[in-house]
Amino acid sequence: MIRISDLRKIYQMGDVEVRALDGVTTDIAKGEFLGIMGASGSGKTTLLHMLGLLDEPTSGQIVIEGTDVSQLTDHEKTMFRLYKLGYVFQDYALVPDLTVMENVTLTAMLRKDRTEEQYRKEGFIVLQKIGLFDRRDHLPRELSGGQQQRVSIARAMVNKPDILFADEPCANLDSENSRMVLDLFREINEEMQQTIVMVSHEEWHKNYFHRIIYLKDGKIVSDEDNH
Amino acid sequence: MGKKELKVAFLLALRSLQRGSKSSVILTVIIIAMCFTNMIFLPSMLNGIGQSITKQIMNYETSDVLVDPKLGNQYVEDKDAKLALINGMSGVQRASPHYSKAATLKYRQRVLGVTLRAITPKDEMLVSPLYTKMVAGSYLGEGDTGEIILAKPVAGDPTIKREDEFQPSLGGVRVGDSITVEFANGFTKDYRVKGIYFTGWYVADATGYITWSDMEQVEAKTLENAEYITVKAKPGYSEKFIKNELIQYGIPDRVQTSTDVLAKNMGRVLQSYAIINVVSLFVSVIITVVVLFIIITIKTINSRRQIGILKAIGVDKEVIMHNYGFQVIILAIMGIILGIILALLLNVYMAYNPIVTADWTTSLYMTPMDLAMNSLILFIAAIVAGYLPAYQVSREDIQSAMRA
Repeated sequence: MIRISDLRKIYQMGDVEVRALDGVTTDIAKGEFLGIMGASGSGKTTLLHMLGLLDEPTSGQIVIEGTDVSQLTDHEKTMFRLYKLGYVFQDYALVPDLTVMENVTLTAMLRKDRTEEQYRKEGFIVLQKIGLFDRRDHLPRELSGGQQQRVSIARAMVNKPDILFADEPCANLDSENSRMVLDLFREINEEMQQTIVMVSHEEWHKNYFHRIIYLKDGKIVSDEDNH
Repeated sequence: MGKKELKVAFLLALRSLQRGSKSSVILTVIIIAMCFTNMIFLPSMLNGIGQSITKQIMNYETSDVLVDPKLGNQYVEDKDAKLALINGMSGVQRASPHYSKAATLKYRQRVLGVTLRAITPKDEMLVSPLYTKMVAGSYLGEGDTGEIILAKPVAGDPTIKREDEFQPSLGGVRVGDSITVEFANGFTKDYRVKGIYFTGWYVADATGYITWSDMEQVEAKTLENAEYITVKAKPGYSEKFIKNELIQYGIPDRVQTSTDVLAKNMGRVLQSYAIINVVSLFVSVIITVVVLFIIITIKTINSRRQIGILKAIGVDKEVIMHNYGFQVIILAIMGIILGIILALLLNVYMAYNPIVTADWTTSLYMTPMDLAMNSLILFIAAIVAGYLPAYQVSREDIQSAMRA
């Protein structure tokens, strides 16, 4: 599903060259729940951003579902993100002025293959799934952190993306809410065969992953099957 | 940009205004409204002055068409024949002859030099609204002799001391009083003050009127000539039509429409007003553009991370740009509506409380076209001011936006 070849990202900080990613090569299979782990500064988020088309690699290649994403124009990348990818961010990243329902259906509204009736229906279904249907008319600030993160997951899921990227989604949550979010990811992965790539630095999270890549200094130092 | 993208952009804009900072929205709308009021106030005021002067000149000096002596002549000769001819023309409501003579008015210890005008009261009533401007007593009658009507500033106010007067007067003449008039040719006669008028037009308010027959007494002859003739058009007839008709009928004197006269006398004044209007408009537009630019820039800077997130989840930069564009459009529409309401209220207020100077009285003069044009200018300015920062921020790359 995703083929990553010799991926490098080098930042120039004055005279110093910082290698955030240094020749990462790996494949991610469809339906896989992949954990990217490592210490702070190891390159986890940089790799996730490259895979999610949020940043450009210095060199190397990423092929998603047969598309070499480095060849896409800016607009094509936006459309690729809209139609193929879903994101869950550490700080939920909901639009504060939109209700839960509006946040969830925002990107679905933009898709040419969705009618208003369809995206509303899908919004209701996904909100029921995450248990926040009753709070669909609330604003994000009226929800707890865990609830906001579940809305963020619902927003990512409503378009039924090929790949769901999650960047430390439990970093701002207590252990109970973290478990709830991870359970939700596992449920989505198992029931819908959803490919999930998640960055985390919490050791106990690895129980949820099918496979774990450990990064250190921008290189894969370990690639474990966790089935 | 498709319909769906515009719909999402509009939703984001609307929600941001509905659920964002209310005080910021109110403040912005008030600023736009103030800019609009500022844009419309000064030009309307100057237009009002221009209109007021134009109207007063037409009412008390020229009417629709002015017939005055051709070059080299002192008078419009054979006025009776000309009046009969003009009054018989299809578009003419009435022609009124005028004759003026310098005179010294004496009342108690006061002496005042003026130029008195002679009129035929019935004709003048059909040409000028002077008869409606009586503040005391009554207007001249056709057969009146030995009677005079005076402007209020000429009659004066007995409660104001001579040294406190804005302009010299007779110190408080009242209706029924007798004043002595000594004309430039030495003819002297006592006249009973029949009425006192006030027009608001400084030229008419610096004189008095007597009947044509009284002026014939002054000149000791039948007055066959007039100094000038004013001609009023019937409703539905243009002053240009009357002018052409007069020329076609062979009136040998100089025939001018009120517009011709105003163009000569007021042209430069109106041109100066137009320059002031343009400068005022330009300043108001610049203020609006700068204010909205700052507001939208602050909004976009504060929302950089959110913009990054929106782009990350697949919202196109055009949608993000139009989101801010729509916000500005909504704010501009609200500001313009409030501005129009304020301008109309100001218009009503000034209609009841006009600005009165020694020379003219005026209120605001604004037409629906003025309101529409200013609204359009402000609207375009607002869009430019809003879209510039929105365009800049929507093009920022996701990484730097998300790091903000």
